[in-house]
Amino acid sequence: MRTSDLIEILARDVRATPPGIVNKRLLAALLAGGLVTFAIVALGLRCQPLLAAVQQPWFWMKAAYTCLLTLAGAVIVRRLSVPGARVGAAPLAAGLVILAMLALGTGQILFTAPADRAALWLGHTWKVCSPLILLLAVPVYACLIAAIRRLAPTRPALTGAAAGFAAGALAATLYGLHCPEQAAAFVASWYTLGIAAATALGAIGGRRLLRW
Amino acid sequence: MVRLARRERVDLPVPQQDQTEERLRPLMIRSLEGDSGAHRQLLGVLGRYLRGYFSRRIGATSGEVEDLVQETLLAVHLKRESYDRSLPFTPWAYALARYKLIDHLRRRKRAHQVPLEDAGALFAAEDAEEGALRTDLDRLLQRLPDRQRSLVEDVKLQGLSVEEAAQKRGVSAVSARVMLHRSLKWLNQALRDENE
Repeated sequence: MRTSDLIEILARDVRATPPGIVNKRLLAALLAGGLVTFAIVALGLRCQPLLAAVQQPWFWMKAAYTCLLTLAGAVIVRRLSVPGARVGAAPLAAGLVILAMLALGTGQILFTAPADRAALWLGHTWKVCSPLILLLAVPVYACLIAAIRRLAPTRPALTGAAAGFAAGALAATLYGLHCPEQAAAFVASWYTLGIAAATALGAIGGRRLLRW
Repeated sequence: MVRLARRERVDLPVPQQDQTEERLRPLMIRSLEGDSGAHRQLLGVLGRYLRGYFSRRIGATSGEVEDLVQETLLAVHLKRESYDRSLPFTPWAYALARYKLIDHLRRRKRAHQVPLEDAGALFAAEDAEEGALRTDLDRLLQRLPDRQRSLVEDVKLQGLSVEEAAQKRGVSAVSARVMLHRSLKWLNQALRDENE
């Protein structure tokens, strides 16, 4: 088939596309995946007593950390999903937020008596925290990948990593509804580790799933 | 290793690139609004630039240029929703072409370091002369189910509009549109599998 013939066929397959469809697709994916993960948290893990929790600063410290990372992750995914867009400052912002959280956690450890440090750092749930966040990230990641596949990421592994990061951060946010841990040192370690694992696995998935 | 001698890098003076942008972006926007004539015109111009770009990158004699042009035009077509109308068009097109070039070299197990250049690298020179093909899309189309294949052939060989072809084959225009679009997505995948 000559190239000019191909163009003739393609010209007949033109349909009007509403503007803003990229954002709509990605937001819909975050919402759909987030709903599934929320259902797992609410019905499977059970929320902690939220009325009491929302009056505590530590609840909002956790929420602010993971929400900011979700936001940064979503922006990075958006930028990487279309050809020719610059990634911009979102990765830097995410890095600074993580650094701030690590500093907060370290500070907390330093101001705690050495005998109590391990208990503060490990809490009661350190063994399950990161794996649960990773697991909860799966529905969000799957929805994001499905949406990105219809777009055009020119860096599949990096885009997959960003999708894993955003999915992990959103999963961590929703996990915060369940998780009663209060220490900044705990969040800085185990929440961050869960999100990092989702990022790493997301990159591997992206390599395979986001080629076009 | 792909030869990427310094002299091959083409830095266009800004005005000429602006001209390309001013010429192509309105076409792209009209194409996204559903203007099939604008889409045809855009793909025609892009095809000539892509041919020039790929020839410079993988060698005009490699016999793979035209295949890559067709694959990239299919990608431009199928991925055009990812273009953000508030941004310039030429960087979008260049990033897409570069991705297809890298993907092509990777599948050929060649070194696929392609420097990230200005969009002007794609829009340096037009080449209107279609080269030889390794993979004939018509051959791939033979594998489509009968109904889809005959629809594509009506549109291609007889130049019918989708509506006319739908009428001829006794299906609704809507389902003919869906069939055509699915055929093109299928063709894109088949072409990639073929070159894997």
